[in-house]
Amino acid sequence: MQFSYIQPTSIEEVFKLGSAAPLYAGGTDLIGLMKDDIIKTDKVINIKKLKGLDKIEDKGNKGIEIGPLVKIADLIENETIQEKCPLLVQTAKEIASPQLRNMGTVGGNICQRPRCWYYRGDFDCIRKGGDTCYAVGGENKYHCIIGGGPCFIVHPSDLAVALLALDAKIEITSENGQKTVPVNDFFILPEDDETKENILEPGEIVTKIILPEQAKGFKTTYIKFKERSSWDFAVVSVAAVLKTDGNMIKNGKLAFGGVAPHPWMEAEINQKLTGLNTDEASVDAFTSSLFHNAEPMEKNEYKVILARNLVKRIIDNLA
Amino acid sequence: MAESKYVKSKIFFEEEFEEKLAEVPTDPKGPWPANDNLKIIGKPVSRIDGYDKVSGTAVYTFDINLPRMAQARILRSAVPHAKIKKIDTGKAESLPGVLGILSSNNAQEIKWFNTSSLFDTHLRYQGDEIACVVAESEAIALKALKLIKIEFDELPFTVDAKEAMGEKAPKIYDEGNIQGGKPFEYARGDVDKAFQEADAIVEDTFDTQVAIHNPTEVHCSVVNWDGDDLTVWDSTQAIYGVRDTVADALKMPASKVRIIKKYMGGGFGSKLECGKYTVMAALLARKIGRPVRIVVDRKEMNLAVGNRPNSVQKLKLAASKDGTLTAISHYSYGAIGGYEGGAGCSWPARQMYKCDNVKVEEYSVFTNTGPTRPFRAPGYPQGIFALDSAIDMLAEKIRMNPLEFRMKNNAEKHPMWNAPFTSKLLKEAYEQGAKAIGWDKRNNQPGADKGPVKKGMGMASQIWWGGGGPPSHAVLKLNRDGSARVIAGTQDLGTGTYTFMAQIVHEVLDIPMDKIEVILGDTAVGPYCPSSGGSTTAPSVSPAVRDAAENMKIKLLEAAAAQLESEKKNLVYVNGLISDTSNPEKKIDIPGLMGKMGEQTITTTGSREANPEGYITQTFGAQFAKVEVDTLTGKIKVNKIVAAHDIGRVLNRKTLDNQFHGGIMQGLSYALMEEQIVDINTGKVVNTNLHDYKIPIIADIPEIEVIIVSEADPMNSNTGVKGCGEPAIIPTAAAIANAVYNAIGVRIKSLPMTPDKVLMALNQA
Amino acid sequence: MKINLTVNHKNYSLQINSDLLLVDLLRDHIGLTGTKKGCEIGECGACTVIMNGKTVNSCLVLAVQADGAEITTIEGVANNGDLHPVQQAFLEHDAVHCGFCTPGMVLSAINLLNHNPNPTEFEIREAIAGNLCRCTGYQQIVEAIQSAADKSK
Repeated sequence: MQFSYIQPTSIEEVFKLGSAAPLYAGGTDLIGLMKDDIIKTDKVINIKKLKGLDKIEDKGNKGIEIGPLVKIADLIENETIQEKCPLLVQTAKEIASPQLRNMGTVGGNICQRPRCWYYRGDFDCIRKGGDTCYAVGGENKYHCIIGGGPCFIVHPSDLAVALLALDAKIEITSENGQKTVPVNDFFILPEDDETKENILEPGEIVTKIILPEQAKGFKTTYIKFKERSSWDFAVVSVAAVLKTDGNMIKNGKLAFGGVAPHPWMEAEINQKLTGLNTDEASVDAFTSSLFHNAEPMEKNEYKVILARNLVKRIIDNLA
Repeated sequence: MAESKYVKSKIFFEEEFEEKLAEVPTDPKGPWPANDNLKIIGKPVSRIDGYDKVSGTAVYTFDINLPRMAQARILRSAVPHAKIKKIDTGKAESLPGVLGILSSNNAQEIKWFNTSSLFDTHLRYQGDEIACVVAESEAIALKALKLIKIEFDELPFTVDAKEAMGEKAPKIYDEGNIQGGKPFEYARGDVDKAFQEADAIVEDTFDTQVAIHNPTEVHCSVVNWDGDDLTVWDSTQAIYGVRDTVADALKMPASKVRIIKKYMGGGFGSKLECGKYTVMAALLARKIGRPVRIVVDRKEMNLAVGNRPNSVQKLKLAASKDGTLTAISHYSYGAIGGYEGGAGCSWPARQMYKCDNVKVEEYSVFTNTGPTRPFRAPGYPQGIFALDSAIDMLAEKIRMNPLEFRMKNNAEKHPMWNAPFTSKLLKEAYEQGAKAIGWDKRNNQPGADKGPVKKGMGMASQIWWGGGGPPSHAVLKLNRDGSARVIAGTQDLGTGTYTFMAQIVHEVLDIPMDKIEVILGDTAVGPYCPSSGGSTTAPSVSPAVRDAAENMKIKLLEAAAAQLESEKKNLVYVNGLISDTSNPEKKIDIPGLMGKMGEQTITTTGSREANPEGYITQTFGAQFAKVEVDTLTGKIKVNKIVAAHDIGRVLNRKTLDNQFHGGIMQGLSYALMEEQIVDINTGKVVNTNLHDYKIPIIADIPEIEVIIVSEADPMNSNTGVKGCGEPAIIPTAAAIANAVYNAIGVRIKSLPMTPDKVLMALNQA
Repeated sequence: MKINLTVNHKNYSLQINSDLLLVDLLRDHIGLTGTKKGCEIGECGACTVIMNGKTVNSCLVLAVQADGAEITTIEGVANNGDLHPVQQAFLEHDAVHCGFCTPGMVLSAINLLNHNPNPTEFEIREAIAGNLCRCTGYQQIVEAIQSAADKSK
């Protein structure tokens, strides 16, 4: 790696720099991408000195605003988040390792590049501008079972899955102004553009993650299934926000990680949760219907079973 | 009488018997008493090199910094099979800061592997070396590598052993892809007849993965020429092996090559041989007249420094209804990569159990993948996984408890040569291990546990070569102030060699531990000891150190007799004090005696005695695993491992427990997670980093109980140590696999037993 | 560019390139080789140091990030030659094998006890989750940290 270091003092400077260089926040993904030559650049733009992007603010009924430069470790320690959004704390604790949580940021976690080993390795794959997806017919155990094509990554962010289930929004700022999009619209599928994972254009920067005020009475949980007991990316993960009434789920949301090129939520699944009885037969019928339209690859059919079983476990544990 | 003599000594190392002419003591000192009657041997003793390591002052090869030291890095093949047509280093050479480049263009021809060379233009795997650049900094060297232009013809490749054995496979060597042109075969008795007459037969196929050692310290060397003398600091398990390879490669006398290894960050076998990188660095250092440091980084290690090969094993076992194991047929093949190596895994089948009829056919197959290198018990974890899974299947078929089945088929003498053992406590290991795990509470019905998380218990046996052997030497020097320095040309990989050497000197001579310095890992200082692999270090070196210490005691008594004007036969040496039993006034302690010698030091040497003729020394053991399998996710959690082993004498209980914990963790990792994965379409490795090549994190550890059932081997050497590095890893995966079957009633026959495999197996059941 | 930082209570003012990594600054520019490089991409923890009171992988921190920072490396942990209780416990419980991962492990452990002097076994395992060891079975490391915590009470 050889690069110079640009230190803007205002966000306007960042806009003007446009696509000149990647943004450097925590650096836990960027430095690795540069070392592996996935990102080739001769400069980086350090945004850590920009003011106001590292706060967590409780806006009452307007929800909670989280700055993109908030470190994952600080998110976990934050009392507002602990009190009002325990799902996010639980999810954040699953991320990476203690050292990486001390350095990595919320914005960086959401914007991180995929961990697909073809993308990260010495393969000229579609996402890098080549014309082959090596996962097709290759080692695709960890790749997606739905939403894929022509590239079959899964998105590695844990926070994105939880934020999706929480109906969060992402504020994007550029020199043209500001826009706020739901998490679901922030991420894109490879069929839209196989070279990027989200809608950010050069000169645009995530400036807020907005959690709407969380309704009372919901139980939340995040299960991240990993092969190692910790410090591992999700094989499949599920964020659940569920309201129960006796033996029934009144309503709720399920968001999935590790199954698709972006965090995955289906209105159809969430609708089926409404009024779902939690007896074994009803739950089995429900889980068997999940991902019925999945298109697993040669080595990842187990993910369909796993996703269904994780949902079953979540519902069984509600009691 | 001369202190030493020469014998022809046979010692088994990794795959075969090696015979060497060895210097051994004429008077081997008799066996020690049991550890309970010894002062420090067998007790838990803190490592004497621990302070350096916890304080960060230990200097590893990776840390060495010499004045004007340049940095070298290697360019490697990015494709699995190719023939180089042209290498253009012009642009790289003109990069400022580049000091020199070596490749097939300009390097002298140095033989490497049987038919290859240091820089071969025929590239046989992704990672094969093409060129080496030395520069002012690593960053410049790495930049220069990218500027080297290679023109090459890509050749058809094969990365699958089965495919490679076929007629139509691309040939990696003209003679074909099966090493030696034929399988290794072994037979005893008549398996066909035994199968015909059997009451029960089981037959199945098992497969295991390629595993990479991945020690924490990467492979690296620092080399420096001083005129014609070459000093190499190397992270190595084999200082003499490296010395001889470097001397041969550079066509220089071995006396002018010095290899030094003080601290190293792990090896597990990956550092048992000289690396090409060391020779490259030496050549470049000579060329530029400056010291050179060369590093093989983590990605390169996952491609090119060797691996535990994969295996596909077809096992057929037969038994009679009374539980006698009557036949074993073992067919296997494994990929050995682009250069000669070994994928054999049938030693357990040939010798673990008593069985009159055994047939083995094993193939080591060339493929366009990284070469093999001994990895902690080469062949055995994979061999025992298949064998002991099949043993459990057979026991189930005849409705016999698998523990009883193994006990019934315990061999009193070595099954291959009908030779007696110097010691064998496998039955005791079975009994004590079974008791500790609570074997009587095991599920009688596999899969019987209720609920989605099912518990199970399983076991497996262990066998390995033990006892080490000569030649192995030590030197002991006693100083004026009564402090001592013990010296041996051996290695400490973290295995505790430094500490046990000091313990032995203390045991024999009562010199306080903090007055004993240990010097090892320097060929200029020596004296010769074997390389540190195969669990041979403690059993080979400890007797030599004891011999030197006992010889020192003899000399001290002689000196005391002269000083005190006493008769030697009246002198006793107790707790560092020499006293005359016939005259209590006459006594002297060691510092006092040494003080009479001016500036003299006393030096003694010691050697390991010969192994007893006609006997086999091996280690034995059994591991028992308690697991729970989450049938919703396929995740296997190991709750407890009980490891009961016969390893001869324990020298240091603290470091021994550490060795077992570490070995068991590697066994668990082999069972459940680690695997090198090669993309079959491109022939390239997909997981070259420590995240995608998964090794356990602290949260993955089970409860581990280590039971040593042995006291000391009574015959093998004056310390009775058999060695423990390898026993720890051998049965773990098999025990876990058998426990998984007991838990869920479905047998996983493929390692690693990752959640996807378990889920799919449960789904198909 | 010029940076000022404090390493083990000593102030340094250094002229560096913008692409220099903290681990290389510590090892090559300051000469503190106790911090190791095992993987260079934040996956093994051998390069762990304490920066402004938190553990980080120094192989992923640009040296310019350390401008104005307080860094503790393994060399700064003992007190005038007296081992820190964690270091002492590592020795007593044989939590050291080859020792290459030890500096990172010790710093992660010390940082844990600085923030949580009375950790549960679970919390200990969580805190060391970013430090890989290939030699030991980790058990002695857990026991050492537990023992250091107990002794400090």
